[in-house]
Amino acid sequence: MNAKPTQKASKTAPQVYQYFALTLLALFCVGPILVMLATSFKTQAQTFNVGLSFFFAPTLENYRDVLQGNNFSRYLINSLIVGVVATVITLVLGTMAAYGLARFTFPARKTFAYTSLLLRTVPLAVLAVPVFMLWNATGLVNSLGGLILLYVAVNLPFTLWLLYGFVLQLPIELEESAAIDGCGPVETFFRIVVPLLRPGLAAAAIFTFRIAWNEFILALVLTDRSTRTLPVAASLFITDMGVDWGKVMALASLIALPPLIVTLLAAKQFIAGLTAGAVKS
Amino acid sequence: MRHARSTPWIFIAPAALLMAAGCLLPVLAAVRLGFFDWSMGTPWSEAKWVGISAFVDAIKDPAVWRSLWTTLKFAFVSVSIEMVLGIVLALVLERSVRGTTFFRTLFVLPMMIAPIAVGLTWRYLFDSQFGLVNAVLGAFSIAPKGWLADETLAFAAIIISDIWQWTPFVFIMVMAGLAGVDSSVVEAARIDGASTRQIITKVKLPMIAHVLAITLVMRLIDAFRVLEVIYILTFGGPGDSTEVLSLHIYKTAFIGQKLGAASAISVLLLIVVAGLSYMALRLSNPLRDPVAR
Amino acid sequence: MKRRDVLKTAGIAGILTAGQFPLIKGVFAQDRYGKYRGTTLVLSIPAHSQYDAMTKLIPEFTAETGIKVELDKLAIPRMKDKQLLEMAKPQGDYDLASYVVMWKSEYVKKNLIVELEPYFKNPALADPNYDMGDIVKGYLENLGLVGGRKGYLPGPNAKLYGLPYGAETSVLAYRKDIFEKHGLKPPTDYTEFQKLLAPIKAKEGIGALTSRGQAGHQCVHAWLLHLNPLGGEVFDENWNLTFNKQQGIDALTFLKEVVDTGPVGIPAFGQGEMNNTFLQGQAAMYLDSTLIMGIVNDTSKSKIAGKVGYALHPKGVKHASQSGGLGLCIPRNAKNKEAAFLMMQWLTSKAQDIKVVQAGGGPTRMSTINNADILKQFPDFAVLKDALKYVDPDWRPIIAEWDEINIQALGVGVSEALTGKKTPKQALDDLVPKITGIMQKGGYLKA
Repeated sequence: MNAKPTQKASKTAPQVYQYFALTLLALFCVGPILVMLATSFKTQAQTFNVGLSFFFAPTLENYRDVLQGNNFSRYLINSLIVGVVATVITLVLGTMAAYGLARFTFPARKTFAYTSLLLRTVPLAVLAVPVFMLWNATGLVNSLGGLILLYVAVNLPFTLWLLYGFVLQLPIELEESAAIDGCGPVETFFRIVVPLLRPGLAAAAIFTFRIAWNEFILALVLTDRSTRTLPVAASLFITDMGVDWGKVMALASLIALPPLIVTLLAAKQFIAGLTAGAVKS
Repeated sequence: MRHARSTPWIFIAPAALLMAAGCLLPVLAAVRLGFFDWSMGTPWSEAKWVGISAFVDAIKDPAVWRSLWTTLKFAFVSVSIEMVLGIVLALVLERSVRGTTFFRTLFVLPMMIAPIAVGLTWRYLFDSQFGLVNAVLGAFSIAPKGWLADETLAFAAIIISDIWQWTPFVFIMVMAGLAGVDSSVVEAARIDGASTRQIITKVKLPMIAHVLAITLVMRLIDAFRVLEVIYILTFGGPGDSTEVLSLHIYKTAFIGQKLGAASAISVLLLIVVAGLSYMALRLSNPLRDPVAR
Repeated sequence: MKRRDVLKTAGIAGILTAGQFPLIKGVFAQDRYGKYRGTTLVLSIPAHSQYDAMTKLIPEFTAETGIKVELDKLAIPRMKDKQLLEMAKPQGDYDLASYVVMWKSEYVKKNLIVELEPYFKNPALADPNYDMGDIVKGYLENLGLVGGRKGYLPGPNAKLYGLPYGAETSVLAYRKDIFEKHGLKPPTDYTEFQKLLAPIKAKEGIGALTSRGQAGHQCVHAWLLHLNPLGGEVFDENWNLTFNKQQGIDALTFLKEVVDTGPVGIPAFGQGEMNNTFLQGQAAMYLDSTLIMGIVNDTSKSKIAGKVGYALHPKGVKHASQSGGLGLCIPRNAKNKEAAFLMMQWLTSKAQDIKVVQAGGGPTRMSTINNADILKQFPDFAVLKDALKYVDPDWRPIIAEWDEINIQALGVGVSEALTGKKTPKQALDDLVPKITGIMQKGGYLKA
């Protein structure tokens, strides 16, 4: 980031305030996450005692119950398959389409571009009924494949346009010289372009995984007892007979963990991807 | 680049096919379903063609308009607050200090948490009997409130949870925009005797207007799509005070069992969102205006 | 009682006496399950104490019959979505499904579940010692019959589509310690009941009566609890709307007072939150499902073990306890219908009814409620036995459209009255156009 010479002079005093403000903000952001984690270590009696919000004798009982009961491993595997496969397919197809759109002219280019831009904004609630009907008619309902297809389709438009911005930033000369060396367009794409898109791919991966791993309303409609994902399983803890807070928070924490870890590891790429396209840098 | 005629399609076709099958086709199917009376749990062969009557009913139904109004109110209030907070925070915290990266990482965490976890956590925090929110208010001797039991407070609750999750997004976008502002321009203004406030309102904000506009539209589109957190936090209640249009569609389909009617209302939502997308395209058309370099 | 006469003429009279079929005991008892050994049944069940208790009995069922069981446990509202989705297919995943009483007419109307009489008449499947007459009659009629008077009550054309399993009625639970401290008596009628509300809140500083109140079916349930004893009904005999008559307004006004004198937050309470405020000692009274009897003394959930007394649902112009809860049915598209019937019959048998109560469930049979050992273990069943006399089978109109009326119309209006947005009268009057529309569309009223 650029150093700003005028601000260097008055550095010491306001910096304390700045740290103070940053810390306060960080607490607001992280606070509810901490409450979720803390609650997951409470017994049922403790969850009803607000005085014990952060100081209590922790128990691992909730995690033990969640991990052992109710087909947890089946749901975890489903979630992993859906999250990983949907992300990989979205990335591969999204990168290819972004490259095609950025580097080639073809007859239906505009139609394709505007349609995908519109699809980017379709609310998931709109899709629930027709997707259920179509998947039912084609036998895709209750299969992991059906869920993956849906997540790929809803994530592609965003990924495509995110990566489109990244492709435009690449110097075209590299590809031209590869072509002169006798590389076909497909070979050029995989050998030259894809490696250069790595930062954009990281951001796109986080975005796609975020949806495919977290989504539960369509997943609820489109899966059955053997294909259910973890967020769906968590939503089933909310019953008419009340919420077993300790257990459901343990499951919610387990669901939140992978995206949190990915974010902590790749925050820079994530932020770069988030702001790309909107911000000239 | 010179290329064979089929080359672009090698790159485009797979994505185009999947988007068509998994997203475009369902959207078109939703429009078509709007012309049928079809109850969940009955075979498609029993669905009755009813023409545009479901659309007419949807437009006449005050519940649809109420939920559209709730959606608009939700989008307007939450996005305004998020924009103002995000911009102010970014301006205050613009200067980079040691550890900025660390703090920024913490700020993006709420965005990554699963909606189910967000909804559950806030539902727990807002609980009238054992929620932390009432406990904190109690420390200032404010009587406990039934947060999710009062129309205004429940609406406030869904706004607060949205602000928590999405203000960081605005903050990060604005930070990135400000980082791109040429410091020599700011310096020149300062030498000309501009006050800090003038620098902000006359120099910095106009220079990032483009970023602000795109951030605003992106947030608005997302606010119109919101469903999962509200589904968990209030399920639309009390009354129908937090029933946004997405939730109304869900309830019509899966509780009212009226798949056709739900589809007709979906079309209404699609029109609203399409209008927003049009606005977004006017502000920044990635096809015409390849800015991202 | 007249109902008994109606029942005698009813089509199910035959099955009620199926116990007297001249079957040779022993032969069939062994053969019944043989054919289905190794079959796997898939059950759709709710997250509910009755079915948690049932889960504990399953190993014994598998050992005895050789039939394996897989459970799909869901929250009740999601369970309905899933069942409808599954039952609409040519072949569904579920062999045996638990359902809420409100869904029975819709399931039958959509032709999703099978009639049970043929199975009970099939000597290869039926247990000669089953004794259907022993099942609490209010429960059996309420949960099982479709097609009689009004479509959901007993009558000449009524047919049996399900068996009660997890049925319930309403009972008043109160804190003996608090009532003793202030010299109060449990209310017997609604006048006494109402007079208790404000004083308890004032004297004790906790809620008087806890209640459900969440928008949707929860708040309607709470309102119906008071509507029936106060003499109101949702529709009259000719399906004219009567819910906004004076009795309806009175019931809603009473419920609003319950909210104002109850624990904070009732308009957001589902059954779980309601139970919890009572169990955590934040309310002095509870008026709802008899299920609470099974939880009150569980110290991991309850702070009030040993402090609770029970009384009949107070009388308004009449005694009218809730009728409702869960039952078991067989989907038409089930893979293993006969084995599913066998499991249903086994679960609701005399022996297993006692075992499920001991495991934390509720009783379905008179022989269980009268069982000396059970009464020793659960002395509160004495009140339950009395309450069963007043079970009102017409407690709510279980027509196919009820879910929509319940959740999307009444569930919104009642909630608006409870939050104070509208007066009770205004809230109910405002629902007339919407419910009229639904009833016209369903063909009950002329457009």
